Amino acid sequence: MANVKTGITLFSLGTPYLKGQLDLEGVIRTAAEMGAEGYEIVASQMIPSYPYVTDEVVEFFRKCTEKYGIAPICYSAQMDRGMLKDRDLTEDEMVARAITDIISANKLGCTVMREQYLLSPNGLGRIAPYAEAYNVHVGIEIHNPESPITPAILDYVKVIEETGSKYIGFIPDFGCFATKPNKPYWDRALAAGASVEVLERMAQLRYDEVSQEEATQILMPELQKCPALFGTLSSMYGFVQFRKSRTAELEGLKKIMPYCFEMHGKCHYVDENLHEVSIPYEEIIPVIANSDYNGYIVTEFEDEGGYDSIEQTTRHVAMVKKLLAEAK
Amino acid sequence: MDFAMRVNYVDVVVSDSLKHYYVDGKRMGYQFDIRLSYYRGHFLTVIDEFGITVDGTEVPTERIKFCINGKEFSPSEFDKCYTEFWQVIEPATIRVFYPGGLPEGEHKVGVKLFFRSPYMPIGPDHQYMPVDSCGSKTLTITD
Repeated sequence: MANVKTGITLFSLGTPYLKGQLDLEGVIRTAAEMGAEGYEIVASQMIPSYPYVTDEVVEFFRKCTEKYGIAPICYSAQMDRGMLKDRDLTEDEMVARAITDIISANKLGCTVMREQYLLSPNGLGRIAPYAEAYNVHVGIEIHNPESPITPAILDYVKVIEETGSKYIGFIPDFGCFATKPNKPYWDRALAAGASVEVLERMAQLRYDEVSQEEATQILMPELQKCPALFGTLSSMYGFVQFRKSRTAELEGLKKIMPYCFEMHGKCHYVDENLHEVSIPYEEIIPVIANSDYNGYIVTEFEDEGGYDSIEQTTRHVAMVKKLLAEAK
Repeated sequence: MDFAMRVNYVDVVVSDSLKHYYVDGKRMGYQFDIRLSYYRGHFLTVIDEFGITVDGTEVPTERIKFCINGKEFSPSEFDKCYTEFWQVIEPATIRVFYPGGLPEGEHKVGVKLFFRSPYMPIGPDHQYMPVDSCGSKTLTITD
Protein backbone atom coordinates (compact mmCIF):
# COMPACT_ATOMS: atom_id res chain seq x y z
CA MET A 1 0.00 0.00 0.00
CA ALA A 2 1.39 3.36 -1.00
CA ASN A 3 2.17 6.04 1.51
CA VAL A 4 2.22 9.26 -0.50
CA LYS A 5 2.92 12.71 0.89
CA THR A 6 2.64 15.96 -0.99
CA GLY A 7 5.51 18.39 -1.19
CA ILE A 8 6.51 21.44 -3.17
CA THR A 9 9.76 22.29 -4.82
CA LEU A 10 10.57 25.85 -3.85
CA PHE A 11 11.50 26.28 -7.53
CA SER A 12 7.73 26.65 -8.08
CA LEU A 13 7.98 29.97 -6.25
CA GLY A 14 10.97 31.08 -8.27
CA THR A 15 9.35 34.19 -9.72
CA PRO A 16 8.47 35.93 -6.44
CA TYR A 17 11.83 34.84 -5.00
CA LEU A 18 13.89 36.20 -7.91
CA LYS A 19 11.90 39.42 -8.01
CA GLY A 20 12.55 39.95 -4.31
CA GLN A 21 8.86 39.68 -3.33
CA LEU A 22 9.62 36.67 -1.14
CA ASP A 23 12.91 35.92 0.57
CA LEU A 24 14.02 32.37 1.30
CA GLU A 25 12.11 32.29 4.58
CA GLY A 26 9.05 33.73 2.84
CA VAL A 27 9.24 31.01 0.19
CA ILE A 28 9.36 28.28 2.86
CA ARG A 29 6.48 29.91 4.77
CA THR A 30 4.40 30.13 1.60
CA ALA A 31 5.07 26.47 0.79
CA ALA A 32 3.80 25.54 4.25
CA GLU A 33 0.70 27.70 3.79
CA MET A 34 -0.06 25.87 0.53
CA GLY A 35 -0.27 22.55 2.32
CA ALA A 36 3.15 21.07 1.56
CA GLU A 37 4.32 18.43 4.00
CA GLY A 38 7.93 18.95 2.94
CA TYR A 39 9.90 20.74 0.28
CA GLU A 40 12.58 20.29 -2.32
CA ILE A 41 15.18 22.98 -2.87
CA VAL A 42 17.08 23.68 -6.09
CA ALA A 43 20.44 24.18 -4.47
CA SER A 44 21.98 26.48 -7.07
CA GLN A 45 18.94 28.72 -6.85
CA MET A 46 18.42 29.10 -3.12
CA ILE A 47 21.27 27.76 -0.97
CA PRO A 48 23.13 30.90 0.15
CA SER A 49 26.45 29.04 0.55
CA TYR A 50 26.14 26.84 -2.56
CA PRO A 51 27.62 24.37 -3.36
CA TYR A 52 28.33 23.94 0.33
CA VAL A 53 26.03 24.13 3.30
CA THR A 54 27.54 26.14 6.14
CA ASP A 55 26.60 25.79 9.80
CA GLU A 56 24.82 29.16 9.58
CA VAL A 57 22.71 27.88 6.70
CA VAL A 58 21.89 24.70 8.63
CA GLU A 59 20.81 26.85 11.56
CA PHE A 60 18.63 29.01 9.28
CA PHE A 61 16.80 25.98 7.91
CA ARG A 62 16.45 24.45 11.39
CA LYS A 63 14.75 27.62 12.60
CA CYS A 64 12.44 27.67 9.57
CA THR A 65 11.47 24.05 10.23
CA GLU A 66 10.66 24.97 13.82
CA LYS A 67 8.56 27.99 12.76
CA TYR A 68 6.67 26.57 9.77
CA GLY A 69 6.59 22.86 10.51
CA ILE A 70 8.02 21.69 7.17
CA ALA A 71 11.55 20.56 6.42
CA PRO A 72 13.69 20.14 3.29
CA ILE A 73 13.25 16.61 1.98
CA CYS A 74 15.10 16.73 -1.32
CA TYR A 75 18.27 18.49 -2.38
CA SER A 76 18.01 19.20 -6.06
CA ALA A 77 21.50 19.07 -7.54
CA GLN A 78 22.58 19.99 -11.02
CA MET A 79 25.30 18.37 -13.07
CA ASP A 80 27.13 21.30 -14.64
CA ARG A 81 29.18 19.19 -17.02
CA GLY A 82 29.95 22.23 -19.18
CA MET A 83 31.07 24.54 -16.37
CA LEU A 84 34.70 24.73 -17.52
CA LYS A 85 35.57 27.04 -20.37
CA ASP A 86 37.25 24.68 -22.76
CA ARG A 87 36.15 21.12 -22.04
CA ASP A 88 33.52 18.95 -20.37
CA LEU A 89 34.07 17.72 -16.84
CA THR A 90 35.49 14.19 -16.72
CA GLU A 91 33.55 11.43 -15.00
CA ASP A 92 35.95 11.71 -12.03
CA GLU A 93 35.15 15.41 -11.74
CA MET A 94 31.40 14.81 -12.04
CA VAL A 95 31.56 12.10 -9.37
CA ALA A 96 33.44 14.55 -7.14
CA ARG A 97 30.74 17.18 -7.62
CA ALA A 98 27.99 14.66 -6.92
CA ILE A 99 29.72 13.64 -3.69
CA THR A 100 29.90 17.30 -2.63
CA ASP A 101 26.16 17.52 -3.29
CA ILE A 102 25.51 14.38 -1.22
CA ILE A 103 27.46 15.91 1.68
CA SER A 104 25.44 19.14 1.37
CA ALA A 105 22.14 17.24 1.14
CA ASN A 106 22.98 15.31 4.28
CA LYS A 107 23.89 18.48 6.14
CA LEU A 108 20.46 19.94 5.35
CA GLY A 109 18.79 16.76 6.55
CA CYS A 110 17.61 15.70 3.08
CA THR A 111 17.39 11.94 2.56
CA VAL A 112 16.71 12.35 -1.16
CA MET A 113 18.80 14.10 -3.80
CA ARG A 114 17.84 14.83 -7.39
CA GLU A 115 20.69 14.24 -9.83
CA GLN A 116 20.68 14.98 -13.56
CA TYR A 117 21.31 12.62 -16.44
CA LEU A 118 24.69 14.11 -17.36
CA LEU A 119 26.04 11.92 -14.58
CA SER A 120 26.44 8.65 -16.49
CA PRO A 121 25.04 5.32 -15.28
CA ASN A 122 28.59 4.32 -14.35
CA GLY A 123 29.00 7.59 -12.43
CA LEU A 124 25.77 6.89 -10.57
CA GLY A 125 27.06 3.45 -9.63
CA ARG A 126 30.28 5.01 -8.33
CA ILE A 127 28.50 7.32 -5.90
CA ALA A 128 26.34 4.57 -4.36
CA PRO A 129 28.70 3.94 -1.39
CA TYR A 130 28.67 7.67 -0.54
CA ALA A 131 24.90 7.84 -0.89
CA GLU A 132 24.58 4.94 1.54
CA ALA A 133 27.12 6.32 4.01
CA TYR A 134 25.39 9.72 4.11
CA ASN A 135 21.86 8.26 3.97
CA VAL A 136 20.98 10.25 0.86
CA HIS A 137 18.97 8.46 -1.86
CA VAL A 138 20.20 9.79 -5.18
CA GLY A 139 17.62 9.72 -7.95
CA ILE A 140 18.29 10.52 -11.59
CA GLU A 141 15.50 12.73 -12.83
CA ILE A 142 13.51 11.17 -15.66
CA HIS A 143 12.55 14.21 -17.67
CA ASN A 144 10.67 14.45 -20.95
CA PRO A 145 11.79 13.44 -23.65
CA GLU A 146 13.16 10.53 -21.60
CA SER A 147 10.68 8.22 -19.94
CA PRO A 148 10.78 5.01 -17.86
CA ILE A 149 11.06 2.99 -21.09
CA THR A 150 13.68 4.92 -23.07
CA PRO A 151 17.10 3.26 -23.58
CA ALA A 152 19.01 5.95 -21.65
CA ILE A 153 16.90 5.27 -18.56
CA LEU A 154 17.12 1.49 -18.95
CA ASP A 155 20.93 1.87 -18.84
CA TYR A 156 20.55 3.30 -15.33
CA VAL A 157 18.20 0.45 -14.36
CA LYS A 158 20.96 -1.97 -15.31
CA VAL A 159 23.45 -0.26 -12.98
CA ILE A 160 20.93 0.01 -10.15
CA GLU A 161 20.18 -3.70 -10.39
CA GLU A 162 23.84 -4.68 -10.76
CA THR A 163 24.96 -2.73 -7.71
CA GLY A 164 21.92 -3.81 -5.70
CA SER A 165 22.12 -0.49 -3.88
CA LYS A 166 18.92 0.87 -2.36
CA TYR A 167 20.44 4.36 -2.50
CA ILE A 168 20.59 4.97 -6.22
CA GLY A 169 17.46 5.19 -8.35
CA PHE A 170 15.11 7.65 -9.99
CA ILE A 171 12.95 10.71 -9.64
CA PRO A 172 10.38 10.53 -12.45
CA ASP A 173 9.00 13.85 -13.65
CA PHE A 174 5.37 13.48 -14.70
CA GLY A 175 6.03 15.76 -17.66
CA CYS A 176 7.32 12.61 -19.39
CA PHE A 177 3.73 11.30 -19.54
CA ALA A 178 2.30 14.33 -21.36
CA THR A 179 -0.53 13.55 -23.77
CA LYS A 180 -1.34 17.06 -24.98
CA PRO A 181 0.62 20.06 -26.29
CA ASN A 182 2.14 22.31 -23.68
CA LYS A 183 -0.22 25.20 -22.98
CA PRO A 184 2.29 28.01 -22.28
CA TYR A 185 4.14 27.31 -25.55
CA TRP A 186 0.81 27.06 -27.40
CA ASP A 187 -0.39 30.36 -25.97
CA ARG A 188 2.94 32.01 -26.74
CA ALA A 189 2.63 30.95 -30.38
CA LEU A 190 -0.92 32.35 -30.52
CA ALA A 191 0.31 35.63 -29.04
CA ALA A 192 3.03 35.72 -31.72
CA GLY A 193 0.35 35.56 -34.42
CA ALA A 194 0.01 31.82 -35.10
CA SER A 195 -3.45 30.50 -35.85
CA VAL A 196 -5.17 27.72 -33.90
CA GLU A 197 -5.61 25.84 -37.15
CA VAL A 198 -1.85 25.74 -37.84
CA LEU A 199 -1.06 24.77 -34.25
CA GLU A 200 -3.57 21.95 -34.43
CA ARG A 201 -2.02 20.71 -37.65
CA MET A 202 1.39 20.82 -36.01
CA ALA A 203 0.15 18.89 -32.98
CA GLN A 204 -1.47 16.30 -35.24
CA LEU A 205 1.84 15.76 -37.06
CA ARG A 206 3.44 15.14 -33.68
CA TYR A 207 0.66 12.73 -32.68
CA ASP A 208 1.15 10.93 -35.99
CA GLU A 209 4.87 10.54 -35.14
CA VAL A 210 5.92 12.41 -38.26
CA SER A 211 9.62 13.27 -37.92
CA GLN A 212 10.63 16.82 -37.01
CA GLU A 213 12.37 17.25 -40.37
CA GLU A 214 9.30 16.14 -42.28
CA ALA A 215 6.96 18.25 -40.15
CA THR A 216 9.20 21.24 -40.79
CA GLN A 217 8.95 20.67 -44.54
CA ILE A 218 5.18 20.24 -44.44
CA LEU A 219 4.65 23.37 -42.38
CA MET A 220 7.34 25.48 -44.06
CA PRO A 221 4.97 28.10 -45.56
CA GLU A 222 3.35 28.68 -42.13
CA LEU A 223 6.72 28.64 -40.34
CA GLN A 224 8.00 31.31 -42.68
CA LYS A 225 4.93 33.45 -42.11
CA CYS A 226 5.26 33.14 -38.31
CA PRO A 227 8.87 32.31 -37.30
CA ALA A 228 7.82 31.90 -33.62
CA LEU A 229 6.35 28.58 -34.75
CA PHE A 230 9.86 27.19 -35.23
CA GLY A 231 10.25 27.33 -31.44
CA THR A 232 6.84 25.75 -30.90
CA LEU A 233 7.71 22.92 -33.26
CA SER A 234 11.08 22.24 -31.70
CA SER A 235 9.50 22.22 -28.22
CA MET A 236 7.00 19.58 -29.40
CA TYR A 237 9.99 17.44 -30.38
CA GLY A 238 12.10 18.49 -27.37
CA PHE A 239 11.39 18.81 -23.64
CA VAL A 240 7.59 18.96 -23.88
CA GLN A 241 6.82 16.06 -26.19
CA PHE A 242 3.42 14.41 -26.08
CA ARG A 243 1.84 11.23 -27.34
CA LYS A 244 -1.74 10.01 -27.69
CA SER A 245 -1.24 7.15 -25.29
CA ARG A 246 1.14 6.80 -22.37
CA THR A 247 0.13 3.26 -21.43
CA ALA A 248 3.57 1.87 -22.26
CA GLU A 249 5.35 4.58 -20.24
CA LEU A 250 3.06 4.04 -17.26
CA GLU A 251 3.70 0.30 -17.43
CA GLY A 252 7.38 1.19 -17.40
CA LEU A 253 6.83 3.36 -14.34
CA LYS A 254 5.28 0.39 -12.50
CA LYS A 255 8.44 -1.62 -13.19
CA ILE A 256 10.85 0.99 -11.82
CA MET A 257 8.64 2.04 -8.92
CA PRO A 258 10.80 0.17 -6.37
CA TYR A 259 13.71 2.41 -7.43
CA CYS A 260 11.81 5.70 -7.15
CA PHE A 261 12.64 8.00 -4.24
CA GLU A 262 10.44 10.93 -5.15
CA MET A 263 8.07 12.04 -7.92
CA HIS A 264 8.15 15.41 -9.64
CA GLY A 265 4.58 16.52 -10.06
CA LYS A 266 5.28 18.70 -13.06
CA CYS A 267 2.68 21.31 -13.81
CA HIS A 268 2.44 23.90 -16.53
CA TYR A 269 -1.18 24.87 -16.10
CA VAL A 270 -3.84 23.52 -13.76
CA ASP A 271 -7.31 24.89 -14.54
CA GLU A 272 -9.91 25.98 -12.00
CA ASN A 273 -11.44 22.47 -12.03
CA LEU A 274 -8.10 21.08 -10.80
CA HIS A 275 -7.13 19.51 -14.11
CA GLU A 276 -3.62 19.70 -15.58
CA VAL A 277 -4.30 20.41 -19.21
CA SER A 278 -1.44 18.46 -20.84
CA ILE A 279 -0.37 15.82 -18.32
CA PRO A 280 -2.88 13.02 -17.54
CA TYR A 281 -2.77 13.06 -13.74
CA GLU A 282 -6.03 11.11 -13.68
CA GLU A 283 -4.07 8.19 -15.14
CA ILE A 284 -0.77 8.71 -13.33
CA ILE A 285 -1.88 9.09 -9.73
CA PRO A 286 -3.72 5.71 -9.56
CA VAL A 287 -0.48 4.01 -10.68
CA ILE A 288 1.36 5.58 -7.74
CA ALA A 289 -1.49 5.04 -5.28
CA ASN A 290 -1.74 1.35 -6.17
CA SER A 291 1.98 0.70 -5.75
CA ASP A 292 4.09 0.29 -2.62
CA TYR A 293 5.57 3.76 -3.13
CA ASN A 294 6.52 5.47 0.11
CA GLY A 295 7.53 9.06 -0.53
CA TYR A 296 6.59 12.46 -1.83
CA ILE A 297 4.93 13.78 -4.91
CA VAL A 298 6.61 17.16 -5.17
CA THR A 299 4.78 19.87 -7.06
CA GLU A 300 6.99 21.47 -9.68
CA PHE A 301 5.26 24.39 -11.31
CA GLU A 302 7.30 25.18 -14.39
CA ASP A 303 6.58 28.87 -14.17
CA GLU A 304 6.20 29.60 -17.85
CA GLY A 305 3.35 31.41 -19.49
CA GLY A 306 2.96 34.14 -16.90
CA TYR A 307 0.46 32.40 -14.63
CA ASP A 308 0.40 33.22 -10.95
CA SER A 309 2.87 30.81 -9.37
CA ILE A 310 1.18 30.72 -5.97
CA GLU A 311 -2.25 30.03 -7.46
CA GLN A 312 -0.90 27.36 -9.80
CA THR A 313 1.12 25.61 -7.11
CA THR A 314 -1.81 25.69 -4.69
CA ARG A 315 -4.13 24.20 -7.33
CA HIS A 316 -1.62 21.51 -8.17
CA VAL A 317 -1.19 20.38 -4.57
CA ALA A 318 -4.99 20.33 -4.18
CA MET A 319 -5.34 18.32 -7.39
CA VAL A 320 -2.81 15.72 -6.29
CA LYS A 321 -4.47 15.38 -2.87
CA LYS A 322 -7.90 15.03 -4.50
CA LEU A 323 -6.74 12.37 -6.94
CA LEU A 324 -4.91 10.46 -4.20
CA ALA A 325 -8.08 10.45 -2.08
CA GLU A 326 -10.15 9.23 -5.06
CA ALA A 327 -7.66 6.45 -5.79
CA LYS A 328 -7.99 4.98 -2.31
CA MET B 1 26.15 35.15 -30.94
CA ASP B 2 23.33 33.68 -33.06
CA PHE B 3 20.56 32.37 -30.88
CA ALA B 4 20.62 32.78 -27.12
CA MET B 5 17.96 31.86 -24.59
CA ARG B 6 16.58 34.67 -22.46
CA VAL B 7 15.31 33.89 -18.96
CA ASN B 8 14.62 37.20 -17.34
CA TYR B 9 12.99 38.14 -14.03
CA VAL B 10 14.67 41.40 -13.08
CA ASP B 11 16.62 44.17 -14.78
CA VAL B 12 20.26 43.23 -15.31
CA VAL B 13 21.46 46.75 -14.49
CA VAL B 14 20.23 47.56 -10.99
CA SER B 15 18.39 50.87 -10.63
CA ASP B 16 19.96 53.66 -8.58
CA SER B 17 23.24 51.77 -8.21
CA LEU B 18 25.65 54.10 -10.07
CA LYS B 19 28.09 55.92 -7.83
CA HIS B 20 31.75 56.82 -7.54
CA TYR B 21 34.22 54.93 -5.40
CA TYR B 22 37.07 56.51 -3.52
CA VAL B 23 40.61 55.38 -2.67
CA ASP B 24 42.83 57.41 -0.32
CA GLY B 25 40.17 60.09 -0.44
CA LYS B 26 40.42 60.33 -4.21
CA ARG B 27 37.68 59.61 -6.69
CA MET B 28 39.13 56.50 -8.35
CA GLY B 29 36.29 55.47 -10.59
CA TYR B 30 32.66 54.48 -10.65
CA GLN B 31 30.62 51.40 -9.90
CA PHE B 32 27.17 49.93 -10.45
CA ASP B 33 25.40 46.65 -9.73
CA ILE B 34 24.18 43.96 -12.07
CA ARG B 35 22.03 40.85 -11.63
CA LEU B 36 22.32 37.58 -13.48
CA SER B 37 19.38 37.05 -15.83
CA TYR B 38 18.46 33.45 -15.03
CA TYR B 39 16.59 31.34 -12.47
CA ARG B 40 19.70 29.98 -10.70
CA GLY B 41 23.23 31.11 -9.94
CA HIS B 42 26.38 30.11 -11.80
CA PHE B 43 30.11 29.69 -11.49
CA LEU B 44 31.95 32.51 -13.26
CA THR B 45 33.60 30.01 -15.62
CA VAL B 46 30.36 29.78 -17.64
CA ILE B 47 30.64 33.40 -18.81
CA ASP B 48 31.59 33.41 -22.49
CA GLU B 49 31.30 37.11 -23.33
CA PHE B 50 31.46 40.11 -21.06
CA GLY B 51 31.80 43.80 -21.74
CA ILE B 52 30.69 47.19 -20.49
CA THR B 53 29.78 50.33 -22.36
CA VAL B 54 29.17 53.71 -20.79
CA ASP B 55 27.46 56.37 -22.89
CA GLY B 56 28.09 54.22 -25.93
CA THR B 57 31.85 53.86 -25.40
CA GLU B 58 33.36 50.46 -24.68
CA VAL B 59 35.27 50.29 -21.40
CA PRO B 60 38.71 48.60 -21.74
CA THR B 61 38.53 45.23 -20.01
CA GLU B 62 41.57 45.84 -17.83
CA ARG B 63 39.78 48.74 -16.16
CA ILE B 64 36.93 46.48 -15.03
CA LYS B 65 36.64 44.59 -11.74
CA PHE B 66 33.73 42.23 -11.23
CA CYS B 67 33.06 41.99 -7.49
CA ILE B 68 31.29 39.09 -5.78
CA ASN B 69 31.87 37.06 -2.63
CA GLY B 70 34.05 39.85 -1.17
CA LYS B 71 36.53 39.51 -4.05
CA GLU B 72 37.36 41.49 -7.17
CA PHE B 73 37.88 39.61 -10.42
CA SER B 74 39.05 40.75 -13.80
CA PRO B 75 36.97 39.47 -16.74
CA SER B 76 40.16 37.86 -18.07
CA GLU B 77 40.13 35.65 -14.97
CA PHE B 78 36.56 34.34 -15.33
CA ASP B 79 37.68 31.15 -17.06
CA LYS B 80 39.72 30.17 -13.98
CA CYS B 81 37.00 31.00 -11.43
CA TYR B 82 35.42 27.55 -11.26
CA THR B 83 34.88 27.80 -7.52
CA GLU B 84 33.43 31.31 -7.52
CA PHE B 85 29.67 31.06 -7.49
CA TRP B 86 27.51 34.05 -8.40
CA GLN B 87 24.24 33.76 -6.49
CA VAL B 88 21.20 34.54 -8.59
CA ILE B 89 19.69 36.98 -6.09
CA GLU B 90 22.99 38.69 -5.23
CA PRO B 91 24.02 41.61 -7.42
CA ALA B 92 27.62 41.75 -8.62
CA THR B 93 29.27 45.15 -8.32
CA ILE B 94 31.06 46.32 -11.45
CA ARG B 95 33.90 48.71 -10.67
CA VAL B 96 35.51 50.73 -13.43
CA PHE B 97 38.87 52.42 -12.88
CA TYR B 98 38.29 55.98 -14.06
CA PRO B 99 40.19 58.52 -11.95
CA GLY B 100 38.31 61.75 -11.56
CA GLY B 101 35.01 60.03 -12.14
CA LEU B 102 32.07 60.59 -14.44
CA PRO B 103 30.45 63.98 -15.01
CA GLU B 104 27.38 64.61 -12.89
CA GLY B 105 24.04 63.59 -14.33
CA GLU B 106 22.72 60.71 -16.39
CA HIS B 107 24.79 57.97 -18.00
CA LYS B 108 23.74 55.08 -20.13
CA VAL B 109 25.28 51.86 -18.84
CA GLY B 110 25.33 48.81 -21.12
CA VAL B 111 26.28 45.27 -20.13
CA LYS B 112 27.08 42.51 -22.58
CA LEU B 113 26.96 39.15 -20.85
CA PHE B 114 26.46 35.80 -22.51
CA PHE B 115 26.96 32.55 -20.64
CA ARG B 116 26.57 28.81 -21.22
CA SER B 117 23.93 26.92 -19.33
CA PRO B 118 26.36 24.15 -18.33
CA TYR B 119 23.81 21.39 -17.75
CA MET B 120 22.00 21.94 -21.08
CA PRO B 121 24.10 20.39 -23.86
CA ILE B 122 22.89 21.24 -27.36
CA GLY B 123 25.42 19.19 -29.28
CA PRO B 124 28.72 17.32 -29.04
CA ASP B 125 32.10 18.88 -28.24
CA HIS B 126 31.26 21.18 -25.36
CA GLN B 127 28.27 22.92 -26.91
CA TYR B 128 25.82 24.24 -24.33
CA MET B 129 22.74 26.44 -24.49
CA PRO B 130 23.84 30.09 -24.76
CA VAL B 131 21.96 32.44 -22.46
CA ASP B 132 21.60 36.19 -22.92
CA SER B 133 22.08 38.14 -19.69
CA CYS B 134 22.66 41.51 -21.35
CA GLY B 135 21.06 44.70 -20.15
CA SER B 136 21.24 48.45 -20.22
CA LYS B 137 19.83 51.35 -18.29
CA THR B 138 20.26 55.06 -17.91
CA LEU B 139 21.41 55.81 -14.39
CA THR B 140 22.12 59.04 -12.58
CA ILE B 141 25.40 59.16 -10.74
CA THR B 142 24.55 59.89 -7.13
CA ASP B 143 27.88 60.42 -5.45
